[in-house]
Amino acid sequence: MDTFLQQTINGLSLGSVYALIAVGYSLVYSILLFSNFAHGGFLVIGGYICYFALKSMGVSIWVAGFLSLLGAGFSAVLTERLAYKPIRERTNVTLYLLIASMGMSIVIENIFVIVVGGRFRALPPVIPTHPVHLFGLATTSAFDILSLLAAVFFLGALQLFLIKTKWGLAIRAAAYDLKTAGLMGVNVNLLISIVFFVAGFLAAVGGIFLSVRYTLYPQLGMITIKAFVAAVIGGLGSLPGAVVGSLILGLAEMLTAGFISSQLRDIVVFSLLIITLLIRPQGLFGKNISEKV
Amino acid sequence: MSGYTEGIIILLCINAIAAMGVSLLTGFTGIFSLGHAAYMAVGAYTTAILTVEYGVHYIPAILLGGAMAMIVAYVIGVPTLKLMGDYYAIASIGLGETIRLILENWQSLTRGARGYPGIEGYTTLYVSLGFFAVMAFGMFNLIHSRFGRAFKSCRDDYIAASLLGFNTARYRVLSLVLSAFYCGVSGALLGGFLSFIQPIMFDMIKSTELTSVVVFGGLGSMSGTLIGAAVITLVTELFRPISQYRMLIYGAVLVIIMVLRPEGIMGQYELGPRFFRMLKNRFTKESSEKEGEPS
Repeated sequence: MDTFLQQTINGLSLGSVYALIAVGYSLVYSILLFSNFAHGGFLVIGGYICYFALKSMGVSIWVAGFLSLLGAGFSAVLTERLAYKPIRERTNVTLYLLIASMGMSIVIENIFVIVVGGRFRALPPVIPTHPVHLFGLATTSAFDILSLLAAVFFLGALQLFLIKTKWGLAIRAAAYDLKTAGLMGVNVNLLISIVFFVAGFLAAVGGIFLSVRYTLYPQLGMITIKAFVAAVIGGLGSLPGAVVGSLILGLAEMLTAGFISSQLRDIVVFSLLIITLLIRPQGLFGKNISEKV
Repeated sequence: MSGYTEGIIILLCINAIAAMGVSLLTGFTGIFSLGHAAYMAVGAYTTAILTVEYGVHYIPAILLGGAMAMIVAYVIGVPTLKLMGDYYAIASIGLGETIRLILENWQSLTRGARGYPGIEGYTTLYVSLGFFAVMAFGMFNLIHSRFGRAFKSCRDDYIAASLLGFNTARYRVLSLVLSAFYCGVSGALLGGFLSFIQPIMFDMIKSTELTSVVVFGGLGSMSGTLIGAAVITLVTELFRPISQYRMLIYGAVLVIIMVLRPEGIMGQYELGPRFFRMLKNRFTKESSEKEGEPS
């Protein structure tokens, strides 16, 4: 029972970090209808900015975290401007965007391999990881609870932004129909930039927590595949779906690691994906898309 | 011929065979896959195990490797090809990684992540050229046949195709199975070329590379695919001395192609009379426009 409770908390914590990544990815998908494979790159950028701000500038984690979130947000906007804008202005074939995003993910990863080297780096101990006893029922690390709280905070903030602000309304409108939103007077280019900024921003939060959990290296972005899987399980383009999918995935991963074998956790993750897609191809919360002929 | 040149030609044949398989699926049937390296892995491991442990002659072993990849693709394809677009792309990543993880963890059969050594070096120059010639001949005939037209109709408008009476679901699975055969044979030849295989050789980066070769050459052009495979293989060899920049350049090229010429080198044209006529028309059109400018 102890292990179960402990792994559940760990799973929720890991799942909530996946949720931060999956939500950004899903947000971009809901507007532009393509899978942005460069999303993992934003996470790595965030992680490295945080690392170097802590190491060489000696600032506190709050300043470093802030810089990292802004940096990742702006590099996401830059990526969109450089690689995706010229393509989406010319055609509406989303396959080209998909391939360009694969290219960008290779570029970002290898810039880091060349500039800072491929070795593993540990973030300075800025986030407490000491064990915490939960009412004598289970023991978990403070880090797991902190990442869960941070994820809840940022997801809540995103929800407020989407519901209470004018730009949030515009984003929700564009998720229904980007072209019509443009006709109604929404500045589409600015809107897409804002969406990418938010996606990069949230990815960097996930990036900081993942680099504390697993250390930091240029290929850390590959972990976003799990977030993509979570977004697909929840239904592409659906934000609640992305969150629920991520939590399911985090729990499945940690419970497999705790009770069966940690080598099998990735296989379990991908089998969950396949099973979901077979039973409900549009994902848990996805819209049932039936094409008009 | 020096051993180095010979090695490059063998590698060219191997990459071209795999690229033809992916091209059939992505370029002609319009299904985007990011897990095709897994079929190469299935082919490579089947052939390696058959030749090393059961002493099977390499030619039937290679064909059986391809057949095994076909079986795996059929089992996977029937349920998952219901999915469209990005859903299948993500699912194919999952499938590819799952196959790789199974190979990595099935210690008793595949010797796990340390790799499978001691494969007989059966992929000589003539073997690889022979396989390439036969398979390229088969592929060019296939895409110009009734089946080829059915695949293209699935790509261009699958609703219209199914209204015309094509069983689109069946053609999509058939396309996947055939492309898995090409990738399986290519993987088997790769195993014989390197004498050593390892699950990590067939990871997502390899799958991405296969798909990018096809995109680079032109979606829907088999000769474009061959040109793309040749260019990418040679460029990879050329940049070997500065290998840390290799992947960076590779990614940048992918983005630049998508921005500047998303239809790839050849577009949908094949290298043939029609392509040259198109080129000729374009140049005569441009020159006549230039003549018209001053007035």
